[in-house]
Amino acid sequence: MAVITAGIDMGAKTIKVVLLEDGQKVRARAMELGGTDTRAAGERAFNAALFQAGLRMAEVAHVTATGAGRASAPFAKDSVTEVGAGARGAIFLHPAARTVIDVGAEEGKTLRCDGRGKVIDFAVNEKCAAGAGSFMESMARALEVKLEELGPLALKSGNTIPMNAQCAVFAESEVVTLVHQKHTKEDIAKAVHDAIADRITSMVRKVGFENDVVLIGGVSKNPAFVETMRRNLQTAVNVLPDPEYVGALGAAIVAAENAGVK
Amino acid sequence: MKEIDVFRQWNRKRHEYATAWQKRTGGKVMGYFCTYVPEEILHAAGVLPVRVLGSHEPQNVTEPHIFAMFCPFCRDCLAQGLKGRYKYLDGLMIAQSCLHIRQAYTSWIKHVPVGFSYYLCMPHKVQSRRAYPYLRGELEAFRKAVEGWTGKQISDKALREAIAVYNENRRLMRELYDTRKQAEPPVSGEEVMEISLAQQMVDKREHNEALRKLLAALPRRKRDRPAGTRLMIIGSEDDDIDFLHMVESLNKEQYPATFVVDEHCTGSRYFWNDVPEDKDALMALSRRYIERPPCPTKDWEERKRIPHIMKLARDFGAQGAIVMQQKFCDPHELDTVAIRKELEKQGIKTLFLEFDVTVPIGQFRIRVEAFLETLKQEDLF
Repeated sequence: MAVITAGIDMGAKTIKVVLLEDGQKVRARAMELGGTDTRAAGERAFNAALFQAGLRMAEVAHVTATGAGRASAPFAKDSVTEVGAGARGAIFLHPAARTVIDVGAEEGKTLRCDGRGKVIDFAVNEKCAAGAGSFMESMARALEVKLEELGPLALKSGNTIPMNAQCAVFAESEVVTLVHQKHTKEDIAKAVHDAIADRITSMVRKVGFENDVVLIGGVSKNPAFVETMRRNLQTAVNVLPDPEYVGALGAAIVAAENAGVK
Repeated sequence: MKEIDVFRQWNRKRHEYATAWQKRTGGKVMGYFCTYVPEEILHAAGVLPVRVLGSHEPQNVTEPHIFAMFCPFCRDCLAQGLKGRYKYLDGLMIAQSCLHIRQAYTSWIKHVPVGFSYYLCMPHKVQSRRAYPYLRGELEAFRKAVEGWTGKQISDKALREAIAVYNENRRLMRELYDTRKQAEPPVSGEEVMEISLAQQMVDKREHNEALRKLLAALPRRKRDRPAGTRLMIIGSEDDDIDFLHMVESLNKEQYPATFVVDEHCTGSRYFWNDVPEDKDALMALSRRYIERPPCPTKDWEERKRIPHIMKLARDFGAQGAIVMQQKFCDPHELDTVAIRKELEKQGIKTLFLEFDVTVPIGQFRIRVEAFLETLKQEDLF
């Protein structure tokens, strides 16, 4: 009989659940906004995934949690760090991956791993969210565009405006200054992407990178960010399918191992 | 003004200048960090010393080499090396000043090797009488190293000539600064910054020539805006022309302001004192570098910078002071408290700003305008 395991990624902004069959096949996945009651949001995400797969909770052999809020994850028997889960999930989807760049809502991470998904080295952004997704959200707000429009907007610009995004709050007022100086939205959007990609690139260089380089986390759905990373690193950068679920997938793989699935 | 444009061109096209100089003279170019480098010895050997400065652009190449809490300036300098902007350098050197900039030097020579590199052990405790013979010894060793590198003897005569050229340069710069004591200075702080930056990267003989032309033309010059509030700018390394430009181009009816003097290592600290007369040329140099207006890393136990700053403020009639520093510059951060206290005691209001690789012009404008407004209120009430 098939063994079902689950990974739940209690992210800073959203909660992701992946159900895995025999450690091999993704049966379902679901996402919920974390909000203030993350445990309840976790349960909702879990139920949504179970519903999709036509399964009951009792049929799930093992749940492993990951993510910044993993301590409050519902149903979880154990947990794995975001770094560990990211590596496992990335290797599962892209076995040649040796460098994994994970940019979520509040954190940017880079890790290097071996072919089995064992982490060799990693770096996480320092203290603030300036190099991460919530930064992009506030920048989109300042520019009065939808988050998903920000990337395509930036791709239209061929200009470079230096911007010092050390801090998300200050960067927002820097954007306001650029608006006052009558720079176009396209150029400002590009400056925002350049700033974020520079910060992430700095971190990647600190860890050192080896091909293949893969991108995971919600921010990798932004085409301008991906393009800037490609340009900065001068190498192919692979965006994994459904990049925001890779952490949860990694946790589900760890759950399968812990449940004794070979 | 064309007499100023020449300096602006030198500063803005610094790399083009150095490569053209190299081609024209066949001489070697030495990049250097920190103004404690005794350039006279290099000049005497026919070498062009070029100060390494940043480019004020965001970058992503220095993170593996420089600690996160090291200053943005050392990061920006190293980035220039890693990006290959100083490929033409024949040598690179530093004189000991602070750990941050030394890290930039060390990483540079490790990752972008140059033909010749030199670490000059400039003593920290300059307020010791032993510093004089010690530095003299270091200068002698340096002179030998340069001779070995260039294959050229550096005679005492050449050294004295170099000292004369450099002293003349310092004298002309002080003369330029003197013009800023006038009620309506004929030059802006931004322009003077271009001139003093160019001073640190071009052949001093050419710089002297251009200064003489400028000084001859200045009496006929009238700026198109009133001097307004007389500002002093004090602090660490500062080549942020954009910032000075912003302050000096604020609405001239509401917030006219002009920088009339500075106390920076990219400004007056670099050239303020001459090499004194001494039968022993190396001892003369030693005395000059030990007695110059100090960098805060070397200003102890007595804090000699403060009386120097106060004298400048008085002589140039400063009404307000912008005290700036590179972010994370601990030596300056320590000095700042005492400097501001003393200035405020003398009735000179201060505004403190932390500088980074790029300057947030909008945010700084708000602060500077408010600062100028408070200074104006002083006059009203």
